[in-house]
Amino acid sequence: MIRTAFKSVFAHKVRLLLTGVAIVLGVSLVAGTFIFTDTINAQFDSLLGDIYEGTDVSVRSAGGDFSAATEPFPASVYDDVVAVDGVMAADGGVSSISAQVLDSDGNPIGGQGPPTLGFSWGDTPTLNPMQIKDGNGRPPAGPGEVTIDINSARNADLELGDMVTVVAFNGPEDFLLVGLTSFGDADSLLGATLISFELEEARNVFGYGDELTGIVVQAEAGVDAADLTAAISQVLPEGVEAVTGETEQNEQAAEISEGLSFLSIGLLAFAGVSIFVGGFIIQNTFRIIIAQRTRELALLRALGATGRQVRSMVIIEALIVGVVGSVVGIAFGFLLALGIRALMNAVGLGLTQSGMVLLPRTVVIGMAVGVILTVASSLLPARKASRIPPIAALREDASRTPRRSLRTRAIVGAAVTGTGVALLVIGLFLSVSNPLLYVALGAAIGFIGVSILAPLAARPLADIIGWPMPKLFGVSGQLAKENTKRQPRRTASTASALMVGVALVVFFSVFASSTKASVSETVFELFPADITFQSTNQTDPEVPAVISPGFAEDLATHEELEVVSAMQFGKALVGEDEKLIGAIDPATIDQVFALGASDGAVAALIEPDTVIVSTSYLDDNGHDVGDTLTIEYLTTGAVTTTIVGVFEANDFSDFYISTNTYVANFRYEGDAVIFANAAEGVSVDEAQEAVAPTVASYGNVKSQSKSDIVTEAETQIDQALLLFTGLLLFAVIIAILGITNTLTLSVYERTQEIGLLRAVGMTRRQVRRMVRWEAVIVATFGALLGVGIGIVLGWAVVRALSDEGLGAFSIPVSQVILALILAAVAGVFAAIWPARKAARMNILDAISFE
Amino acid sequence: MTTQTITDIAARMDNGVKTYGEGDAAVHALNGATAEFGRGRFTAIMGPSGSGKSTMLHCLAGLDTLTSGAAYIGDVDLATLKDKDLTLLRRERVGFIFQSFNLIPTLDAQENIVLPLTIAGEKPDTDWYSQIIEILGLSDRLDHLPAELSGGQQQRVAAARALVSRPAIIFADEPSGNLDSKSGAELLAFMRRAVKEFEQTIVMVTHDPNTAAYADRVIFLEDGVFVDEMHDPTPDAILDRLKRLGA
Ligand SMILES: Nc1ncnc2c1ncn2[C@@H]1O[C@H](COP(=O)(O)OP(=O)(O)OP(=O)(O)O)[C@@H](O)[C@H]1O
Ligand SMILES: [Mg+2]
Repeated sequence: MIRTAFKSVFAHKVRLLLTGVAIVLGVSLVAGTFIFTDTINAQFDSLLGDIYEGTDVSVRSAGGDFSAATEPFPASVYDDVVAVDGVMAADGGVSSISAQVLDSDGNPIGGQGPPTLGFSWGDTPTLNPMQIKDGNGRPPAGPGEVTIDINSARNADLELGDMVTVVAFNGPEDFLLVGLTSFGDADSLLGATLISFELEEARNVFGYGDELTGIVVQAEAGVDAADLTAAISQVLPEGVEAVTGETEQNEQAAEISEGLSFLSIGLLAFAGVSIFVGGFIIQNTFRIIIAQRTRELALLRALGATGRQVRSMVIIEALIVGVVGSVVGIAFGFLLALGIRALMNAVGLGLTQSGMVLLPRTVVIGMAVGVILTVASSLLPARKASRIPPIAALREDASRTPRRSLRTRAIVGAAVTGTGVALLVIGLFLSVSNPLLYVALGAAIGFIGVSILAPLAARPLADIIGWPMPKLFGVSGQLAKENTKRQPRRTASTASALMVGVALVVFFSVFASSTKASVSETVFELFPADITFQSTNQTDPEVPAVISPGFAEDLATHEELEVVSAMQFGKALVGEDEKLIGAIDPATIDQVFALGASDGAVAALIEPDTVIVSTSYLDDNGHDVGDTLTIEYLTTGAVTTTIVGVFEANDFSDFYISTNTYVANFRYEGDAVIFANAAEGVSVDEAQEAVAPTVASYGNVKSQSKSDIVTEAETQIDQALLLFTGLLLFAVIIAILGITNTLTLSVYERTQEIGLLRAVGMTRRQVRRMVRWEAVIVATFGALLGVGIGIVLGWAVVRALSDEGLGAFSIPVSQVILALILAAVAGVFAAIWPARKAARMNILDAISFE
Repeated sequence: MTTQTITDIAARMDNGVKTYGEGDAAVHALNGATAEFGRGRFTAIMGPSGSGKSTMLHCLAGLDTLTSGAAYIGDVDLATLKDKDLTLLRRERVGFIFQSFNLIPTLDAQENIVLPLTIAGEKPDTDWYSQIIEILGLSDRLDHLPAELSGGQQQRVAAARALVSRPAIIFADEPSGNLDSKSGAELLAFMRRAVKEFEQTIVMVTHDPNTAAYADRVIFLEDGVFVDEMHDPTPDAILDRLKRLGA
């Protein structure tokens, strides 16, 4: 049987080729994702290894959070640490994530890409990950001097001796570039912009007093790092901790791989869609091939093969195709990973071009996905093959195993669809622990259900879609239409594959369009301010980056502006949970920001250590106005804070305190958002123009009117939509290959018929047209189903999220129509190869074909 | 050989050679065959299996090309036509009846009958169409799909299709080969009637002397060459001739 299976694979290689492509694409997405993230992970690991090479102990603020890296402690700690037995060398320094370097045109280096990190220069070479090689200048030695990493200097056209503008705590200041730094052999730390100053100057630039944010320690030879860490811990004041270098390195590695795992889960989700679609195609191909081989299989049965043997043969065929497809898929995954890396480097991530990492896990999962997908997809067709009676070898009609009745199909289809919908509803509207899983599973089962029902709709829908074709394209159009109605099941499962991709594209479009509609509503309701200022350097998605403190003051000097009101954000523990806390200026906030606060709440914030909380937080936690909350700040520790009012929930934060309370409890580095209104008689445009020079001098500030904000949000939504659509393209390509595959098989099946048509006078062009319009009908059928499902799914999700500010439901009509047109065009492309095959068919072979 | 003027010839083959394969494996399906088919005549082609009957028919109908020699429909040398023109020639001047698989399964009887006209974007001549339907007794089967018709009915539909565009010549390869004797006789009687009443030209390949006897003339092929002919044949005379050929 195995030999027969091998022979059969070779005999049908062209038909199986397209099946193979579906597997290759699916597996390559999975393998590519793993290879890419493993490669990046390995790079980070080796980089962290370099950085922490000489560090045995790290002393830092005891925040336990990454942001603690910039939380200062008194400089006197350094002397206590150095005095500990076993310390060979120690470097104390400060660092900042709020600095920004401007290039000669006044634009921030790095843009929206990797962050800018500021350091003080460490004098002990074994403890300093940065080096300055011969010819690249010298370390910063005093006020007014800066170093920058080679890569950033090169990108910004900076040379030794140039003046460089750095925007930090004191606003824009110029520094002399005295050194270019590298890391071991690398010119860059993954694309980040790294600047360093002499310690005193760094404190000045970053806004620290007589403080340090970290001390790195090297142990004397023979002293154990863990022991030294314990010894150092003894001398540290409260709020400061010592960990081994290894611990800190592992923490950072864990943080990085967590970030990467988001990326890989996202990519794998799209890979899953492609694989799901591939399953449809593979099953369809096997089913058709078996239908075409009915005679041959029946002959095997007549010659004594058991039904079981026939079934094994089909499954072994699938196994062979699966294995080959998976191996090729993993190879393609390599190329894909290279492609993703090139893409990431194009946006400035500075990933080195080192070798790709192929872990055994990648191979195992890739092979498993490909093989299981193929074999699982062949099970139903194999079962069907095993039921072909021997008599079918002799009698044409005997091959037709009785079909499930339409009624059964309708019932089964409705039940499966219903299960999917139920799971969706549970995931969307009930509070379950893992809603995304329910939604994904519900959608997948729903798709399968609809695909079971689809054959019922195939004939009527083909009639509707194909209605104009006989009129427009004569007999070619008519035959195209009839051909799609011929095997509704085949048409439906071919179309179903496209349905999945189109449904998801339409779903994302509906979601994006609804979000856009809601965004402009929200912005205009929430921001009464004429102009909003924010930092362009947003690197942390959770805490907004800050603008230097001086900026708000500079703004206030412009008489074109009336109200200038700044907002700050910071993280603190409220009860057990880390929360983002917002700070507002109670005197002006009402004029620029629609908090929807209760009467007198904002005014009451003037008292120190008071907070207003969102109504939803209040309700969920059983608090009342007048109660106290314990907020634990990193700098000042636990502070008993009185709830003095409530506000309507908004997207930013559940807690607002006053700026004064903020400055008292957080390390104030600058403002996250600054609102301003144009003065009486000054238009918003004029006001923006008037402050433009101030904005430009800071380099990293953007000034936006309300409609600018909306436009920016819309652009971001469009970009996300484009990204998702791009990722779904794989699934769509697989689906289109599916149409090509089915049509090729159908053309082969209809050889005699096409020969007859040619004999009685159909031109090759008419034959091509016939196949082409058939493909267009199938594609449009799938797209129509997809559009329907996508809109319903979009509607459900928008409804489910209506509490979270997604008020509007909007169908992007033009995009939906575009999707339908593109699907039809895709049909034309899918038909190129089978149409050509049909047209080239030798008439004589065709009419004498048995 | 009969002496007819060129205008009386509907189709002819001149020294036709058709070779399949090359070198030692070469098979000469036609090996210098020459034959003429008179206008308004019903000609049968006979000969042993493998003698080149189907090949001759295919080459005359423009479905296949000769290796050397020439095939004409009317006075058109088929070798001079490109694929497109050959297709148009078939559409306009040639009709076909094959042994089986004559009909498009997705089209009903009526649509199958007018298919060559539909392909060409023309309307059928209603009088002529009704007359054919009438004679073939297909009036009450017109909206049936081929699968719903008997074998005999299917072949009659094929005959109607061959006739409907009034082609210059109809080629039939064992049209009654798959039919029982009664259905076969009905079909052949009709073909004969088309020749007699409407001056239709028909060339038919057959194995069966009884079938061939419906024709005005039988030509005999052997090993790819024309060997003999017989006018106004009877089954017995044909059988007799075949026996002599075989010997
Ligand atoms: N495509 C082909 N390739 C090779 N040889 C062929 C091909 N078609 C026909 N032949 C050979 O050409 C010869 C004539 O074939 P043809 O089909 O014309 O015979 P026939 O007289 O119609 O026979 P039958 O009565 O069996 O139908 C045979 O020997 C056949 O094997
Ligand atoms: Mg033959």
